[in-house]
Amino acid sequence: MTYKWTRRGFGLIAMAALSTTALSIPAAFADEVITIGISAPMSGAAATWGLGMEYTAKEAAKAINDAGGITVDGKKYTFNVIAYDNKYNAAEGSKVAQTLLSRDNAQFVIGVGTAPVKALQSLTERKGVLLFSTAWGRDIKGPKFPLTFTQINTPNEVLVLLYPLVKGQNPNIKTVALLNPNDATGKEVTQAAKENWEKLGVEIVSTDWYERGATEFQPIAAKIAALKPDVVDLGASPAAEGGLVLKELDVIGWKGVKVIGAGTSGEAVVKVAGPAAEQTYMGLAADYDGPEATEVQHALNKGARDVIREPLNVVQMGGYDAIMALKAGIEKANSVDPKKVAEALPTAIIDTSYGKSVFGGMEIYGSPQQLQLPVIVTQVKDGKAVELKRVIPAELQKRLSSN
Amino acid sequence: MSVSAQLLLNSLQIGAVYVLFAMGLTIIFGVMRIVNFAHGEFFTLCALIIAVSMPWLVEGGLPLWAAYGLSFVFGLGAVTLLSLVIFRFGFMKFQRDMIGSFILSIGLVLLLQGVYLDVFGGIPRVVPPVVEGTYSIMGAAITAQRLLLCAIALVITIALYWMLTHTKLGKGLRAIAEDHEAAMLQGIPYRRITLYGFLIGSLLAAIAGGLIAPVSVPSPVIGADYLIKGFIAVIIGGLGSISGAILGSALIAVIDSVGGYYFDPSTATIAMFVLVMLVLIVRPRGILGHA
Repeated sequence: MTYKWTRRGFGLIAMAALSTTALSIPAAFADEVITIGISAPMSGAAATWGLGMEYTAKEAAKAINDAGGITVDGKKYTFNVIAYDNKYNAAEGSKVAQTLLSRDNAQFVIGVGTAPVKALQSLTERKGVLLFSTAWGRDIKGPKFPLTFTQINTPNEVLVLLYPLVKGQNPNIKTVALLNPNDATGKEVTQAAKENWEKLGVEIVSTDWYERGATEFQPIAAKIAALKPDVVDLGASPAAEGGLVLKELDVIGWKGVKVIGAGTSGEAVVKVAGPAAEQTYMGLAADYDGPEATEVQHALNKGARDVIREPLNVVQMGGYDAIMALKAGIEKANSVDPKKVAEALPTAIIDTSYGKSVFGGMEIYGSPQQLQLPVIVTQVKDGKAVELKRVIPAELQKRLSSN
Repeated sequence: MSVSAQLLLNSLQIGAVYVLFAMGLTIIFGVMRIVNFAHGEFFTLCALIIAVSMPWLVEGGLPLWAAYGLSFVFGLGAVTLLSLVIFRFGFMKFQRDMIGSFILSIGLVLLLQGVYLDVFGGIPRVVPPVVEGTYSIMGAAITAQRLLLCAIALVITIALYWMLTHTKLGKGLRAIAEDHEAAMLQGIPYRRITLYGFLIGSLLAAIAGGLIAPVSVPSPVIGADYLIKGFIAVIIGGLGSISGAILGSALIAVIDSVGGYYFDPSTATIAMFVLVMLVLIVRPRGILGHA
C-alpha cells in the first residue's frame, strides 16, 4: 500500500510539475528581458553615487515595465537592472566588466567613474555593447567609440560656465590651488580645470593629488593654506573627502573661494564639513527638491531619501536618464541590437528626468554622444546648495524647436 | 601659522591614532605570531557603531558626550564579541601559522567588509564632534576634538606600557612573545594569555576607530587606509615590539605630515613604502625588532 501510494504520489507530483511547466511556457516567452548592467562605486567615499544610480535606474526600469514595457517588432520587452560595485578603481572595474558582459550577457551597460568606465569601455566597444557613462573624461567619447554615450554634463559643458561665474562674482581672484584624487577621474578633471582657469588668467599655484579613500587631510590643508591661494578647487573629490579638506582648511584659518568643479552633493558636503562648506561653488550639484526640478525629479528625490537616506545628485540622476535614453533609442531603432540602437540614439527625443532632451555635442566631440542637459551651477548658502545659474544648451533648444 | 609647529602638531594628531592601531597589531603578532589583516575591521566596526548609535542616543535626549561615551561602549562590546568569535573559531587554530592565518585574515576582511556594507550601507557617515572649538598652539591650529584624541591616545599608550611592564598579565604576554614554549614550562597559561593578547589588540584597534570617528567620515572601508599604514609602522618599528610600533607610527606620521606638506599626500604614501623597503633591506626585522 505504501509502495502504491508512493508511486501514485510521484506520478501526481510529476504530472502537476509538467502541467505547471507547460502552462508557464507561454508566459515565459511572452516577455523578453533586456538586462542592463551598472558598474558603479557602492562602497567607500564615492558609494553614494553608485547606490543612488542603482535606485534611479531601477525606478526608471520599473516605470517602463509597469507601463507595459517596450514593443519592438511586435515583441514585448521589459528591463532588468543589475548593479555591481566597481569600488571606483580600474581593477574592480575590469572585474565588473567581465561579470556583466561575459556572465550576465548584458548588451547595455551604465558606468560611473573614469577609471572603471575605461576598463568597461575596452570591452563594450569590442563586444558591441552599448555603454552609457557619467565619466568626466573628454576622450571617453567621440568617433573612435561609436557605442559610448554620456548622460551627464562634463567639463566642456560645466567648467566653461562655472569658472567664469566664480571669477565674475569674485573679480579679485588671481590664484588657484587644485587638489584631486590620484586616479583617472582626478587627472582628467585637473587637466580640464587647468585649461579653464588659465583661460580666465588665473594662475595655478599648486596641483596636488591624494589617494581615493584617504582619511587624513591636515598636511595638505596646511600646504594649501601656506600658499595663500585665492581659490581652492577640489575638482573631482567626492563629498566625504572634499568635505574633510574644507573642514581642515577652516581649522587652519584659510578663508578663500571654495570650488568643487565636479561637486555633486551640497547636502553631503555640508554634512561632513559643517559651516566650513558655506559658500562652496559646485558644478554638478542640483537641488531636486527645488522649484526648478521636474515632477519626476521631485518624486525620485523623495524616494531616494527613503531608500538611500540621501537626496539625489546629478550623477545618480544619470541612472534614470540612461534608461530613458535606452528606451528612446530602442524605440527609434525598432531593434534591441546595441549597434542599431547606437545609430538611432542621436536622432531620438528622450524623456529625461529634466524633460525632453537629445544627444548632441558634434562640434566638441566630433560625434553626437553628449546628452544635452541644463547646466546648473550651485553654491552652498545657509547649509543648502542653492542654484545660481541654469543654462539650457542652445543645441537642445534648436533641436527641440525643429522637431 | 608657524609651519614647523603645524607640521609637528599634524604629526602628533596623525601618529596618535596610528600608535594605538599599530600597538594592537604588534601585540597580536607578538603572542600569536600571526599577522592579522582583519585588524582594520575591528577599527571600522567600532567607528561605524558609534556613527549609527550616537544619533539615536542624542535623539533620545542624551547629551552629546554621554551619547558618544555610551556608543563607544557599544562599539567596544561589539568588537569584543567579534574578536572572541574570530579567535575561538579562527585564529586559535592557526596560531604560529603565518600562511594559514594570512589566508584566514584576508578572507575575514572580505567577509566582514561585505557584512558591514549590508548592515551599515556604503554611504560614509558623520559623527558630530563631542568638544567644539579650535586652539592655537605656538601659532599652529588644532581642534579641541583632535586634542582630546591625542590626550586619550597618550593615556592609553602609557597605561598599556605600564600594564605590560608591571602586571602579571603584561609579564605573561611578554614572556609568551619572547619564547612561548619556555613560558609554558614556567606555568604561564598560554591559551588564556594568548586570548587576552588578541582581545587587547583588537580593542586597541576599536579604540582608535572610536577616537577617529568624530574627526573623520566612518565608512565600511575606512579601516583599509589605517591597516596599510599601521602595518607599515610595525614593519618599520619591528613586528612584535611595542616600542617599535610607537617608533614606526611616529615615523610614518612625520612622513605623512611633512611629505603631505612639501609634496602631496600621494607622494607621502609612496615615501612610506620606500622607507619600508629600505628598512627591510638594511634591517629585515625592523628598527627595534628582535631576531
